Amino acid sequence: MKKKMTVRIAASVLALSLLAGCGQRSQQSKDTQPQKADASSGEGIVCYVGHGFWDGSLDPIKGAYAYGYAFTNNALICVAPDSSYKGDLAESWEVSPDALTYTFHLKDDIRFQDGSEFSAEDVVFTYETVMKDQGSNEDVDLTKLREVKAPDERTVVFTLREPYSPFLDTTAQLGIVPSDGYDSTAFDEKPVGTGPWKIIQYDAEQQLIVEANEDYFDGAPKIKRVTFVDMDNEAAFSNAQSGQLDIVMVQPNYVEEEIEGMHIEKLETMDVRNISLPCQPAQVMKDSSGEDVEVGNDVTADVNVRKALSIGIDREQIIADAFNGVGRPAYGFTKNLEWGNAPETSDGRADEARKLLESAGWVDTDGDGIREKDGVKCTFEVYTPSDEQDRYNLAVAVAGEAEDLGISMVVKQTSWDEIYDTSNTGGVVWGFGQYNPVVIDQLFSSEKILQGSFDNKPAYENEKTDQLIGEALQAADHGEAVSRWREAQETFAEEYPYLFVVNIEHCYFVSDRLDISMDTQIPHPHGHGIPIICNMKDWSLK
Amino acid sequence: MDKTDKMDKKRPQWNTRTKITLYIVLALIYLVGILFWGLLMDPKAYAVDYSVKFLPPGAGHLFGTDLMGRDMLFRCVKGLSTSIVIGVLAAAVSSLIALAAGVAAAVIGGKLDSFINWCVDLCMGMPHLVLLILISFMLGRGSKGVMAAVALTHWPELTRIVRAEVLQIRGEQYVQAAYRLGKTRLSVAREHIFPHVLPVYLVGVILLFPHAIMHEASITFLGFGLSAEEPAIGVILSESMKHIATGKWWLALFPGILLLAAIMLFDVIGENLKKLLNPGSGNE
Repeated sequence: MKKKMTVRIAASVLALSLLAGCGQRSQQSKDTQPQKADASSGEGIVCYVGHGFWDGSLDPIKGAYAYGYAFTNNALICVAPDSSYKGDLAESWEVSPDALTYTFHLKDDIRFQDGSEFSAEDVVFTYETVMKDQGSNEDVDLTKLREVKAPDERTVVFTLREPYSPFLDTTAQLGIVPSDGYDSTAFDEKPVGTGPWKIIQYDAEQQLIVEANEDYFDGAPKIKRVTFVDMDNEAAFSNAQSGQLDIVMVQPNYVEEEIEGMHIEKLETMDVRNISLPCQPAQVMKDSSGEDVEVGNDVTADVNVRKALSIGIDREQIIADAFNGVGRPAYGFTKNLEWGNAPETSDGRADEARKLLESAGWVDTDGDGIREKDGVKCTFEVYTPSDEQDRYNLAVAVAGEAEDLGISMVVKQTSWDEIYDTSNTGGVVWGFGQYNPVVIDQLFSSEKILQGSFDNKPAYENEKTDQLIGEALQAADHGEAVSRWREAQETFAEEYPYLFVVNIEHCYFVSDRLDISMDTQIPHPHGHGIPIICNMKDWSLK
Repeated sequence: MDKTDKMDKKRPQWNTRTKITLYIVLALIYLVGILFWGLLMDPKAYAVDYSVKFLPPGAGHLFGTDLMGRDMLFRCVKGLSTSIVIGVLAAAVSSLIALAAGVAAAVIGGKLDSFINWCVDLCMGMPHLVLLILISFMLGRGSKGVMAAVALTHWPELTRIVRAEVLQIRGEQYVQAAYRLGKTRLSVAREHIFPHVLPVYLVGVILLFPHAIMHEASITFLGFGLSAEEPAIGVILSESMKHIATGKWWLALFPGILLLAAIMLFDVIGENLKKLLNPGSGNE
C-alpha cells in the first residue's frame, strides 16, 4: 500500500514535468504552422483583463467600478484622458464659497437601460442608499456628506458636514442606479445603469458577457458584444496563443514573448510601486484600541539611509532587471495626475550616496560589505505579498542596488495578513494609483499613524505636511485644493518616507484586428489590468 | 539505477543480496551527497542575477536559470537538501512516537490501547494534506511550521503496524512463559518483543522518508509551507507552473526528476530492506 502511494505520488510529479515538455512542443509547432482564424468571429470579442475582474458585487451601491470611468453605470462626473474631470451624467457643477454645498446640473434626455428616465431623484436615491449603508461600500466614502436634495428634476445639491475637497473626486466614483428599478440582490450580478454596456450573462469566476447599449447617450459602442473570461494569467496566455482571445493582460516578464496575430501594448498608469521605510526609531506605541504595537526601525529611521537609497539606486536598471524594461522611473506621484508632483531629481548617484552614509556615521568596519553605526548593522527587512511575483522581483532588484551602497535589504514573501503586522517595523512594497488625492492624506498625515491597514505605515510626522493636507481638504476651489496637494508633496520630498521606484505600465497582447482607441484611454489607476476597459465603447474592429 | 539494471541483465547470476547492497550504496551516495552538498552550499551559488534570466540548460548552467537568473541546479539541490532534512527529522520524530505508542498500546492494553487507537483513527480519518496545512498554518508556516506538521502527522500508520506486530508476538508461548517466570512487563518488552518488531519497524521508518519529503513539497507547492523566497522543491515546482505556457520546460523537468529520483531511491531501499530482513522472503 505504501509503495503504491509513493509510486502514485512519484508518477504525478513525472506527469507535471512532462506537462512542461508539452508546453514547449506546442509552442514550437505553432511557430512553424500558420495560425488558424480567430475562434471569436463575428461582431464580438473575447478578453482577459485580469483574474478576479468581477469577483465582488457589480452593484455601484456596494462599491463596484469606483475607478472613475463608466461601464454599466455612469457617475456624475468622469475622468478625461488628461486626468481632469469632465461631466458625465452632470452637465456642469459649482461649489459654494464656504465649500459646503456642491450643486450639479444634470444632462437632459438620458435613459436607463430598463427604459426609465434618468433624473435628479435617482442621484438622491443612489447617494442616500450608500449613506444608509456605508459599511457595505468601502470604496466610496460619503461620511462627510450631510444631505443630498433635488430642488428640481435636473439639479442635485449636496451639503457637506465640513469642507472636504475630495468630495468632487468621490462623485466620479459612484455610479448612479435607477430609483425605481433598484434591486440590491439582482444588481450584484446584473446592475442596470445608464452606461454603455449591459450585462447579458454572469457566471461567477467563469465569464461575464456584456452587450452594447444601443441607446447610450454618448453614442452606442462600436463593438456589440464583449465576453470577459476569468482564468489564471498563464492559462489566459495559452488561450491567446491558440487564438481564442482578442486581449490578454500579461505580466511584464511576458513582453518578450510573441503571439501570432497579436501585438503588445504597454499602457500608461498612475500606479507607483514604492517601498515604505519606517521613519521612527524602534519603539512601542499605543494603537487606536489602546494596545501596544511595535513601531519603527533603527536603520531606516535615519533620513540619510532613506535618502542614500533614493539617490543611490539606479531605477532604470531595476526596471530592466525586474520588469523587462516595462515601466518608468518614479520619484513620487505621477505627472499624469492633476495633483501629482514628483520632485525633479536624478538617481544612480552611488558615490554621493556612499559619501552621505559615511558622513552620517554608517561605515563598514568588519569588512562584510554591510555598513554599521554604533553597533547597528545597516540592514532591514522588506516584505512583499506572496501572490504578486512582480513585487518580489522588484524588491530583489532594489536590494541588489542597495547592496552596492552597503545597505542590506532582506526581502521576504508572505501573506497580506502578516504584512499588515510587519509593515510598522519593516519595509513593504506597495502599489498606489488613484485619481483621488486623498491618498496623500492617508499615506502622509500624522493623524493616520496606526489607523488603518495601509495608512501612513512609515509613521511619518511633519507639521508642515499636516497643515497643507488640512488646507487641501478644506479648500472650496478645486484648483486651490490641487495646488495645496502639490505643495504638500514638496514637504516630504526630502524626507523619503517612501522609496518610490517605478511607475508601472499595464501590458496586454491585443489582437491585430482590434483598435483599443489609444487616444481616449485614460491613465490607468491601480487595478491589475482591468482599467483597459475604461474606453471600451470607443474600441472598434478593423 | 539504469546502470545497475543493465549490469543486472548481463550478469543474472547476481543474487538479491548483492543487488540490494548495490542499490543501497547508490541510493545513499545520491541522498547523502545531495544532503551535504545542499547544507554546505554558499547561498551565492543560487543568488539572483538578473543578467542571466531564463537561460535554457547549457554548459554554464546545467539546469538553466529562472526568471530572476538563479541557477536552477544549485537551487534544486539546496531545495532537495532542505526537503531531505525535513524528511529525516519527520521520520525520526514520527518513528519514535510510533514505536512508543505501538508498544505501549499492545503491552499495556486496556484503556491506553483504546486511547491510542482512537488517536490513530482520529489522525487517519482526516485527509492528511488538510491536517498538514492546518498544523503548518497554525505554527506560522515557514520551516518551523512545515517540520512540525510533517513530523507530527506521519506516526499513525507505523503505530498500527507496530501495535499489530507486538500483539501477535505477545501471544507467543515463549513470551507468556517469560511472564510466568516473573519477568516485568518492561523487561519482556525489551528482551522478547522489541527485537522481533525491529525489522518491520525499520522498513516502516525508511518508507516514511518519501512520504515526508513529498508532503513537504506538496504543502510548500500549495503555499502553506516554506516561504516563497526560500529554495525548496515545492516552491520551485509551483513557480515553474507559471512559465510552462511560455515553454520554459527546464524549470519543471529537472526539479521534478531530482525529487522523483530521491523518492524512488528511498522506496527502493525500503522495499529491498524488507526482502532482506523479512525471514519469510529471505530465500527468494
